[in-house]
This record gives sequence, C-alpha cells and structure tokens, in this order.
Amino acid sequence: MELFQWGTNPWGQETLIRVSWDLLYLFFWAGIAFIVFHVVYAAVWLPKLARANGGQEEAAAAAGIPETIERHTLWARIFHWVMAASMLVLLVTGFFPIIGVQFAWVTIHWIAGIVLTISILYHIVHATFYLDFWSIWILPDDMDEAVQRVKRQMGQEASEIKKHGKYPLDHKLFHTAVMLAGLAVIGTGLVMMFRIENALVPRNAYLLSEPTWGLMYTLHGLGAVLFVMLTLTHIYFAIRPDKFWLTKSMLFGSVERERYLDHHDPDRWVVNKESASKS
Amino acid sequence: MADYKLIGKNYTTPDILAKVTGRAKYAEDFRAEGMLFAKLLVSPMPHARVRRLDTSAAMAMPGVEAILTADELPEAEAPQEAGLTNEPLYEGEPILAIAAVDEETAAEAIEAVQIDFEPLPFVLDPMDSLRPGGPNARLDGNTMAGRDLSTIKWDSVDWSEVDRGIMPLGGEVTDEWQVGDVEAGFAEADLILDESVFSASLSHQPLETRTAMAYWQNGKCFMHCSTQSTARTEGGMARWIGIDPTDLVLIAEYCGGGFGSKISSSIQARIPALLSRKAGKPVMMRVTRQEENFFGRARPGIQARAKFGFKSDGRVVAIDLTMVQDGGPYGRSGDYMSCADQASLMYQPEHMRVRGMTVYTNTPPRGAQRAPGGVQAVAMFAPIVDKAARQLDLDRLDIIHTNAPQGQALFGRPRQGRQGNVSSAFPKEAIDKAREEFDWEGMKARSGQRNGSKVTGVGVAISSYSAGTSGVDGLLVIRPDGMVEIHTGVGNLGTESFSDTSRAAMEALDTPWEQAEVVWGDTSKHLPWSAIQGGSQTTHGHTRSNWAAGLEAKKRLQEIAADRFGGSADSFEVGNGRVFRRGNRGQAMTFGQAAERAIQLGGVYDGSQLPEDINEMTTRSATALAGRGLVVAAKDNFETGGRNMSFCIGFAEVEVDTETGAVVLKDYKVASDAGTVLHPQNFAGQVHGGGIQGFGVALGQKWVMDPQWGLHVAKRFYSNRPPTILDAPHDQELAWSVADEPDPFNPLGAKGIGEAPVGAGAGAVLNAISDALGGNVDFNRSPIMGDMILTMLNPELDEAHNKLSTHV
Amino acid sequence: MAVIRDKMPAFQLFQPASTEEALGVLDQYGADAWVLAGGLDTWDWLKDRVKKPAAVVDLGGVSELSEIRSLGGGLEIGAMATLRDVIRHPEVSEQFSMLADSASQAASPQIQNQGTLGGNVGQDTRCWYYRDGWSCYRAGGNICYADTPTAMNREHAILGASRCVAVNPSDTAPVLVALDAEMVVRNSTGERVIPAQDFFIGPAVDIMRMTALQPGDILTSIRIPWTWANTRFYFEKARDRAVWDFPLANVASAAKISNGVVEDIRIVANGVAPYPVRFLAAEDAVRGRQVGQAVAMEAGELAINGVRPLRHNAYKVTLLRNLVKRSVQGAEA
Ligand SMILES: Cc1cc2nc3c(=O)[nH]c(=O)nc-3n(C[C@H](O)[C@H](O)[C@H](O)COP(=O)(O)OP(=O)(O)OC[C@H]3O[C@@H](n4cnc5c(N)ncnc54)[C@H](O)[C@@H]3O)c2cc1C
Ligand code: HEM
Repeated sequence: MELFQWGTNPWGQETLIRVSWDLLYLFFWAGIAFIVFHVVYAAVWLPKLARANGGQEEAAAAAGIPETIERHTLWARIFHWVMAASMLVLLVTGFFPIIGVQFAWVTIHWIAGIVLTISILYHIVHATFYLDFWSIWILPDDMDEAVQRVKRQMGQEASEIKKHGKYPLDHKLFHTAVMLAGLAVIGTGLVMMFRIENALVPRNAYLLSEPTWGLMYTLHGLGAVLFVMLTLTHIYFAIRPDKFWLTKSMLFGSVERERYLDHHDPDRWVVNKESASKS
Repeated sequence: MADYKLIGKNYTTPDILAKVTGRAKYAEDFRAEGMLFAKLLVSPMPHARVRRLDTSAAMAMPGVEAILTADELPEAEAPQEAGLTNEPLYEGEPILAIAAVDEETAAEAIEAVQIDFEPLPFVLDPMDSLRPGGPNARLDGNTMAGRDLSTIKWDSVDWSEVDRGIMPLGGEVTDEWQVGDVEAGFAEADLILDESVFSASLSHQPLETRTAMAYWQNGKCFMHCSTQSTARTEGGMARWIGIDPTDLVLIAEYCGGGFGSKISSSIQARIPALLSRKAGKPVMMRVTRQEENFFGRARPGIQARAKFGFKSDGRVVAIDLTMVQDGGPYGRSGDYMSCADQASLMYQPEHMRVRGMTVYTNTPPRGAQRAPGGVQAVAMFAPIVDKAARQLDLDRLDIIHTNAPQGQALFGRPRQGRQGNVSSAFPKEAIDKAREEFDWEGMKARSGQRNGSKVTGVGVAISSYSAGTSGVDGLLVIRPDGMVEIHTGVGNLGTESFSDTSRAAMEALDTPWEQAEVVWGDTSKHLPWSAIQGGSQTTHGHTRSNWAAGLEAKKRLQEIAADRFGGSADSFEVGNGRVFRRGNRGQAMTFGQAAERAIQLGGVYDGSQLPEDINEMTTRSATALAGRGLVVAAKDNFETGGRNMSFCIGFAEVEVDTETGAVVLKDYKVASDAGTVLHPQNFAGQVHGGGIQGFGVALGQKWVMDPQWGLHVAKRFYSNRPPTILDAPHDQELAWSVADEPDPFNPLGAKGIGEAPVGAGAGAVLNAISDALGGNVDFNRSPIMGDMILTMLNPELDEAHNKLSTHV
Repeated sequence: MAVIRDKMPAFQLFQPASTEEALGVLDQYGADAWVLAGGLDTWDWLKDRVKKPAAVVDLGGVSELSEIRSLGGGLEIGAMATLRDVIRHPEVSEQFSMLADSASQAASPQIQNQGTLGGNVGQDTRCWYYRDGWSCYRAGGNICYADTPTAMNREHAILGASRCVAVNPSDTAPVLVALDAEMVVRNSTGERVIPAQDFFIGPAVDIMRMTALQPGDILTSIRIPWTWANTRFYFEKARDRAVWDFPLANVASAAKISNGVVEDIRIVANGVAPYPVRFLAAEDAVRGRQVGQAVAMEAGELAINGVRPLRHNAYKVTLLRNLVKRSVQGAEA
C-alpha cells in the first residue's frame, strides 16, 4: 500500500502530488470495521454497563425542566443539514470518479465546497457567540470520564461514571475530528480553487510553490479520506435505534425529558425554562 | 555566357543514383564488428549543476560496456563547449554517454543512472538578462566584450518600453561602428521609419541528425560522421578527439543536410570516438530528432531597433541599428554583425551606425545557419523598405532597384576607416530582367484582389549573401586508364557543389564529363585542402581551384606531348581526352598514354615534386597519390577583387484568408545575380530550396518555450514547423532567372548561390502578407502566423505577445 | 532516475489474426496493454517512454477490421481502414465526401497511408506539455501546465476545458459526430454501440482519457447511417502549414437544405475543445431558416458563446466564429 502519490516536476525532480487513493479504501474499511466492532460491542458490552435510572422525573419537574427540551435550534439544525448535504455531495463528487463512477464532478464539487465553507463559517460564528461554546469541546471533566470508562471496560474498579453534559465525550471526539478534517479540506480546497475553472477566483497554477501545492492536495486528500470514515460511522450512529432519539432531535430540535435525564447531567447541561428557550 | 561545354549544362551527378535508390550510406548506415551503441543522458533543466552522480547501477547492467563523463574530456575554454558537461546551460545538453550492446540497453542504463541536479538561475530572453537584476545564462557573464566574458545590464533604459515591445535605445553594447554621420543623414531624409523589429531563433533541422560512428584500428580513429565539409572537418575533429589529423580517417560521403550546423561536423561526434577508445569496440551514436533539436544548432534570433532615413525618391540615406542577438549559451556567433553588413550592402546607405551585442541565454547553442545574419536582415528590414515605398508612393520593386549596389560597391563594417568592396554586383540587372520576365506589373495588378474572404498579396524583397572564397587547392590525377580523377575535399551535403565545381577541371581540359571520376568524402582517399562547405564558398572557391588544376594539367599534358613529339608545348592542344598537335591531330596522345608517360617522367609529372604554395594537406594527399599517373596539384592564385556576394530578389504571391488567418503561397519566383550558373538544375534547387527555407522563417518555424521552466514545448519535428514541400506553391513550376553577368574575379564567372535565396523567400513572403492586408500593418517580426494575422485584423482580440517576445 | 526520451523501450508484441484473439490478450494484460493501429500516435508515446505498456496488441493482422461495406442502414467502416482507404473508397466519396475530405486533410499523405480511421478517432491529445511527459492532470498530476499565467497555449482549448485545456486534434472526429455515426466497441464481455457524440469525452468527466474506450476495448468499426448521406457538407480545417499540421480548429457540418431553407443541420468543431463540440444553439438558430449571411453570422456568434480563451489563443474565438459562419453559409458562398 502506498501512502502518497509521487510524480516528477518538469525538471524531473520528484514531487508530492497527493495522498494515494489506497487510503480511501483503507479509511473506508476502517470505518466499516469500527461499525462492525461497535455493533458487537453494543450488543455484548453495553447491557452490562447499563445504569439504573428512575425516580428522577418528579425531581426534574420540580427543578423546572420542561417536558421537551430544545436541543438544537432551528438554525443549528439548518446548519447541520446543509453541512451534511454539502458534505455528502463533496464525498460523492470527490470519490465516485476515483472509484470509477465518472461524471462531471468538479463544478458540483467546488460549489458544494463553497456551501460547506459558508455553512461552517456561519457555524463558527453562531457557536461562538450564540451557543454554549464550550459544550462541545473536550474539557478536563471529559478526561476524567474517559479514564473511568476505560477502567470499567477493562473490568477494573472505577468510580461511577458521571452523566455527561450536553455532548458526551464520543460526540466531542467526533466533533474534534470533523473540525480538524473539515478545516483541512476547506483550507486547502479554497486554495485549490486556483487550480480549477470557477466563478470566484482566476486560475493561477503558480500561486504557490510546487511543494506547497503538493501539500495542499495531500492535506485535502487526507481530510477527505478521513471524512469517509467519519461519515460512515456518523451515519451508523445516527441510524442506531438506541441513538435515534438524537437523530430525531436533529430533525425536530428537541429531546424528551426522560432522555435528558437518562443521559445528561443537569449540572453539566443546565436546562431550565429560561435557558431551554435560549440555547 | 561564354561558350562552355560543361559549365551551365545539366548532368547527372555521381552521387545521385545511390541517393535515390537508397544505396547511399550515411553515418547511421555503417556497421562494424562488435559495434556498441551509445545513448546520452541530457539535462532536464535549462541551467543546472550536477550535484550527485552515481552510475554504479547503470554500469552493473549486463551489456553496458563504457561510460563517458564530462570529467574525462579536456575542459573547454569558456565560452566554448566540451560536448559533455557537469554544468548544463540548456535543456538537452549532454551530461554523459553510455555505450552498450544495443540501444535498448543503453537507454535503460541511462535510466538507471542516479543523478541529482541543482537548478541554477536561467534566462530565455536576452532582454531579461539585460534588465538590472536579471539572471545571467552563464555564471561567468551574459555577453562577450571583445575576447572576455562579461556582464552588461541596461540600467538607464526605459524598461516599460520593452514591456510594450519597444526596443530601447542607449543601452551599453559590445560592438559599434559607423560610416558617415547618421544624424546628418537623418537630417536630410524626407521620411524616417523607426521600428522595433524581431526575427526569431530557429533550429536548422537537417533531415539527417548529427549521428556518428567511430572505431579504432592500429592507433587510427575511423570516423563516420555527418558533416558538410570533408577537408575542413579533419583538423577540428582530430582536435576534438585529441589526436593528430594524420591519425584520423574521416568518412563522410553523404550528408543529409546541415544548413551551417555541421560545417565541420559537430563536437558531439567526439563522444562515440572517445567511448570507442575506452570500450575497445566500435561505437555508434545515433542522434535522435529530439537531441538534434537540442544540440543541433539554431539561427540566433535578433531583437532590434531599426531607424531608416529615406529620400523622397526612395534612396536610403541613413540607417541606425541597435541589435541584441540571442546568443544561446555558448560560442560567439556574430549574426548581428553580418546582419548589419548585409543591410549596408543591400541598401547602400551613405550614413550608417550599428550598435549590437550578443546576450547569452539558456537556449540551444547557436551556429551559422544558411545566410547567418543575412536572413535576419531581410526578415527585419525588407518590410521597412517596403513600407517606405508605400509611404513615398513608390513602386516597391523600384525602391529595391534604387538602393541596390552596383559594380564593386562598398559596404559593411569599415576596417581601418575604409569599407571593403564587393567583387561584383548586378542585382539591378537581375531586377531589370525579372521585371519583364516575371511580369511585375501583372503581379502588382493582382495585389489586393479579393476572392470572398481571401485577398491576394504580392511581395518582393532583395537578399544578399557571401558567395565565395579563394586560395584553396585543386588536385587531380590522370590515370593510365585515361580517367581523370578529380579529388575534392568539399563535402557532399546535397548542394552537389563537390561535383559541380569539379567540372571546372574537365572544362579546362575540354574533355567529356564521362571521363571524370570525382573522389570525395573520405580522407583516406587523399583529398586536397578545400573550402568549408558553408558560406556559399565552394562554387566560387573550387571553380577557381579546379580550373587552376585543370590548366596545370593541360600544361603538363602539353609538355608531355612536346617531349614525345617534339616542338614547343604550346603547339599542342588538349581536348576530348587527348593532347594533340595543333593542325596535326595524328600527333596525339590519349590521356592514358600521357599518364603512363608521366609516371615514367616522375618529378612534377607524377606528383613526386609538388608546388611549394599548396596546403600541407594537399601535399600529403598528392604525395600519397604520386606515381599513379599524371598527378596535378595546384593552388588557386587567381586574382581577387573584393568580397564575393550573390543577390536574390524574391517575388511572392500569397493569398491571405482574412477570416481564418490562413496564408497560402500561390507563386514564388526568384531573380538572381550569382555569376555564371554552373548547373541549372542545382541552381534552381538552391534558389527555390533556399526560398522554401525562407518561407519557414516567414511563416512558422520557431521554438516555443515555457518561461516558467525554461523548457521547449515545441520540440517535435512537426511542432517546430519547418516548411514542407506542400507549403511551396505548386500550381505551376517555380520560375527563376539570372542576371547572367559573370563575376570578373572567377575564371568561369561563378559565384555561390547557397545562401542569398533564403532571405529572398522570407522577405518576399513577409511583404506579400503585409500587402494582402493593405500594406499598413506592422507585424515587425517573423514568423507571421495565422493567429497574429487574426489578432491584427480584429483589434478586440488581446495580443498574446508583443513584437519583441522570444520563443512564443 | 535519469530521464531519456526518443528511444522505444522493450515490450511484448502480440500480432493476433482475429478480434477474439486480440480481445483475449487485452483481457489478460488489462491496463498494461496497448492497442496498436497505425502507430502514428502510439509510437510517439512509446518512443518517449512516457507510456510504457507491457504488451502491445497490433491489430494490423486482423483483416476483418479494415473492411468498408454498406449495410442496410448505412456504411460501416472497419476501425483499421487507413485514412487512405477511406479517401479512396467510392462509396465514402459518393455518400459522405466530407469524411474523405477531412481524412485527406489530416496530417500528411504519408501519415494518411499508415494511420487508421480508428486510430484517428482514438488518438490522444497533442498538448505539448502532456505529450512531453510533464506530469499534469491528464497524466495523473494536479496541475495543468498549459493554463498557467505564463503558459504557451496557442493551440489549446477555448471551450469545454475543465482543469485540462488540451484539445482533441482529430480531423475526422467532428465529421463523424456531424454525420451522427456510431462507434462499435467490443471487449471480452460483449459489444456496445456508442453514438460518436458520446464516444468523445471531456476532462470534466475523465481527465485522463479522450474517448469512451476502456482498457480491454477494441473499436471494431464505425457505422454511418444514411441519414445524412449526400446532404450539403462543409468541412474546413485551419492550420499553420499546408500539410503535416494538426488543426488549430476545424469545422464540419451536414445540412439538409431544400429551397434554400435549412431543414436540419449538425455543426461540429474540433481543435477548440477537448472533444468535438456540437453547437446545438447555433443549429437551433439556423434550422428552418433561409441560408444566408445573417443567419450564418448569428450561428457563428452563438458558437462562441461561453468561450474562455487563454493567453495565447484568443484568435481561436474569431477563427471558430468564422468557421461556423462559413459552415452555415456553405462552400458556394
Ligand atoms: C506529425 C503528425 C501529424 C498529424 N496531423 C494530424 C492531423 O492534422 N489531423 C488528424 O486528424 N490527425 C493527425 N495526426 C494523427 C494521425 O492521423 C493519427 O494519429 C492517426 O490517424 C492515428 O491512427 P493510427 O492508426 O496511427 O493509430 P495509433 O497510433 O496506432 O493509435 C492511436 C490511439 O488509438 C488507439 N486505437 C487505435 N485503434 C484502436 C482500435 N481499433 N480500438 C481501440 N483503440 C484503438 C490506440 O491504442 C492509441 O491509443 C497526425 C499525426 C502525426 C504523427
Ligand atoms: C468532505 C469534504 C471534501 C471531500 C471528501 C473532498 C474530496 C475531494 C477529492 C477526493 C478531490 C480530488 C483531489 C485530488 O485530485 O487530489 C478533491 C479535489 C478538490 N476539492 Fe474537495 N473535498 C472536500 C471538500 C472540499 C471543499 C470544502 C472545497 C472548496 C472549498 C473543495 C474543493 C476542491 C477543489 C478545488 C479540488 C481540486 C480539483 C482538482 O484539482 O482536480 N473540496 N476534493
């Protein structure tokens, strides 16, 4: 297996062209392998870890937690689905030609890329100023939780796992990976616009030095293949019955109080009537 | 024309049958036992240094026998080249060569060489090198000032002009001369045209690439190479190989064209010779078309500012030229200087100033190409004179006539304050004749005629070029079998002058050509010192030398007859293969009998005793031939009277499609002054073959290079766009005419005709295109291609390049 | 590794006698095999060592592939018929003179003797960067050297480019598209018939190939339906030299005209885009109208709609406009 595609420049010097598309298959199968593993894991392990819940309802009602809790605002949902759509378009346009399904992909790709870029920009601004910014970042608390989880998995003594805040650690990890890969494809994709015909910037193949271009294509490719895996696993979780309430929340915006209490620590995701309407 | 029996008659040259039947052996056709094949590793960059070289894997391959690197060659003194280098100065410059059992293996071995280059700054356009801070093509400078490499930058000129395609004035140059006073000349001019002009670099592209095969036997190197000259290749080749000329056997009976790029073969021919010595086996190095494109030489492009002052009658009173020549990376070709000389000769200005220089670039090496400088002069200046005729409302042929030189006109760069003269000049006579013969008025009447989108254009241009040398030797042997062996060291590159000039000896002997045997192309066959087969030198030079040898032979024959029959030598005559007493043909000897007698007599008759004044090479050859018959060696001591120059006036008729930019040549005729015509068929071949080459200059042959990487992109044969035979007009036979005025300084009146035709073809076509477009267009560069025409006709189109842009 | 050009490397040569046999070898070698017809395109690639197939399958011995015969619905020309065969064939001249005309203007007489019709439509682009082995998009890289700020692109595309600006250089291809020909392609799994228009593909779809031919495929024949036989043809090629030159642009049109009115027309140009381009808008504008200067000019203008000239090829816009105009006007005009 190759990691990179190398070529020569007109002077016969070796130059980096892009990642090897072997990586596409690697990440695809890695995603599939993870899913298979998780299916098994979820079937065999998770029941053992199940926690007892109950008796919280009344307390919650008393704490002023509403019946349905808004988890994603309309704008946040629109963002998510726009992003998801553009991402899927990018994946299809980026990779189908590589696996042999040929069509005129570049124009759709760059337009989807721009849509993605804009939606991400919107998301950054929105999340920074209007959402609970820190809710998605991995914080020290999460690390502690992670340690406990691993201990438990290994069958060791561990303290009770705290319920998580708005986003569990795996969501946060996923977000971080998406963010890194996303920044990579967007940052490089925007620059790569100078290599293609498009309505926004003039072509200039010599905008960057040759090795820098190689790096751009390589990072773009790396981000892109990473997305194959991330998207696969993301979709898998989205359609898992036990996680479907989350998917629904991304469609309709809210979760039921019961789910909230089951999975979240009210101290870490504070929801009361006021904040619920706000966040 | 005088009443000659052979001169001026068509005949079958001795090489032609072998050529048309494919039996002729060119360098590539030879084989020797155990012969290896060499392949070259050439530079992928326009300027670089070899940083790391590891040939171990290549050498370990089965079948690989020897390698030759630059380190094994004596270092060449800058700005000369060595043939192999560790600091390539242009794309395709050979770095090393590998000899293997076959070419496949050699090529694979090249691919197995681990080599790492450090790219160095490069420059393709001379203007970029003159720019302050601009790169130099060579680490040791960008030009030659006198005998020294030096660096010149034009700090004071207005570079924004250059960006707009205007050649700036006032920059420092390395060469300068003046006659008269140009300022005063312009002051008295009625019309001044001041133009920036450009003539593009173009490869020679001979059909035979510069292939060579060499082997060694008993310390002698046997070299089969592609060369224009024979005698004049021996010394240089021996020097390149590092041996004494007497240790070199050079075999080059056929050469598939050179156009100046193989005057003395090429330095790369040393590679198989040295590899062969190293490997102990014969080595053949077949040069590929692509390699030919790289190191096969090229005509230098010239960027110029040309200011011409005209009187209202069309007379050119003053010319002021500033020229920058694209010098390639090596050598010191001086096209710009001969360009000025030719302008001075063709237009005869009273006042002329020339400023010029060569600027080195990382583009293929330049060399003389058929009328070096002369073609550029016509391509750049003929349109200016043409334009003046229009502006002054003069006939375009008249203005050429008005300015054309006459008699022993003075011209060119003055030496010790004086200009030299031409030996003879009859272009006016040629024009007068052509005006009628070619129906100039009828041609003019067709100018501007429209047929749909197609417009007819008529163009005429004069071109001059050097046409001969003197002082070379003739050598012949009259054998006991009666045959006259005429030895010649002139090469056979297709002009047939090796044979045509040999006829002078037979003419002097008044003997049928069937009795002659030309010996050429192989130094082991004892050749006399000859002119280079270049610069149109041989026709003049070797009619002289062979005439001298013929006369000398005649004299010896008369002496032999007198010795045999008694009486004075001058009571005998020579003719028809016999020497006989005037008035008594019974007292006669055949050449064969005379030859036998000569052998008996020895001394000056059989070559044992030779004239003092002949060249050492001739002496060597004649000595080797001594005793084989009547051996005659003679030096051309005829009177000289100035520089030999020939003239051609080209008349072209084109059809330009204003909707597609397509140019179709409808007719081409050429008038010339080239003294006595030796061989009409060949003469036509020269004037029209040269004309066609000129069409290439006018219509498309060029290089295209990518400026970012400094590499050729149009390096295939077809993408280089040399003209083809189907580009030549073929609705009717192409006409030619001659002034038929013998040169007074040649016993037969002959002058060369190799070079002047090219400029005539180029200039006439360029002018015809302008004419078709109404005359008031300023392409000011060659070649003119369809895209330029469309851009000119449709001002809304952006110009892709300016007038001075190189390699686009 | 040092680079050497202009010397053909060794390969396995197969000279099958039948199409089946040829398909067998192609199947065995997959993408490592190269179909050889006349070699005019092929040898360049091999000699420059830019493409190094392991196996070369010479179709020269497959005589069934060089037949020209008329079928019920049209004329079938074997892919291995040489351009000379096409030029000389009486039925081609009688029914589709434009094809003979284009073949006789392709390349040079020598090349016409050797080059095949199949090879002519199958040939690769002549982009000089790509042909010289620069590792550009078309060669699998990530750059088009012909469309950089300083590139030399006088002979490149003004239409249909997508990252790669190379053009399809074939003279017969636009004629075949204009005549609505079909390409018969076989591989080991069977035969498919592709309309000429879809046979040529642009870089937007596949940046590394010019045609729909995939490894393992053999173009066996080209079928030209009688639909456009003997209609009013117009073919013109603009080039730098009279011969031995690819088109800067060419145009081919077939028009059904009655009483001076254009009933139907197909207009196609090559040398301006990576594939022979059909000018549907121009065709629509002309259909149903009287042939004449005005309508021709209109067609010309429509043809250059959306052009994207490069630094050195703006002239092609004018050239294309004029060629299309002329193709509507017809040769008599
Ligand atoms: C100097 C030069 C100038 C030229 N000028 C012109 C010109 O002006 N106009 C023009 O139209 N052409 C021009 N050509 C191109 C020439 O006409 C074509 O290259 C030639 O016709 C190709 O045909 P060929 O039979 O030689 O094919 P090849 O070179 O053998 O094949 C060409 C390509 O097609 C594929 N191929 C061929 N036949 C088949 C088949 N039956 N099935 C599947 N694949 C196949 C080959 O694999 C190869 O990729 C020129 C060529 C040269 C060398
Ligand atoms: C998940 C997101 C994305 C995926 C999976 C993806 C995938 C790909 C792939 C596989 C390629 C081919 C790369 C190559 O040839 O080396 C590519 C090229 C490209 N992408 Fe993306 N991409 C994504 C996002 C983006 C974004 C956000 C943009 C623009 C803002 C973008 C713009 C481009 C451009 C301009 C090219 C270059 C096309 C070329 O040079 O051939 N992509 N992308």
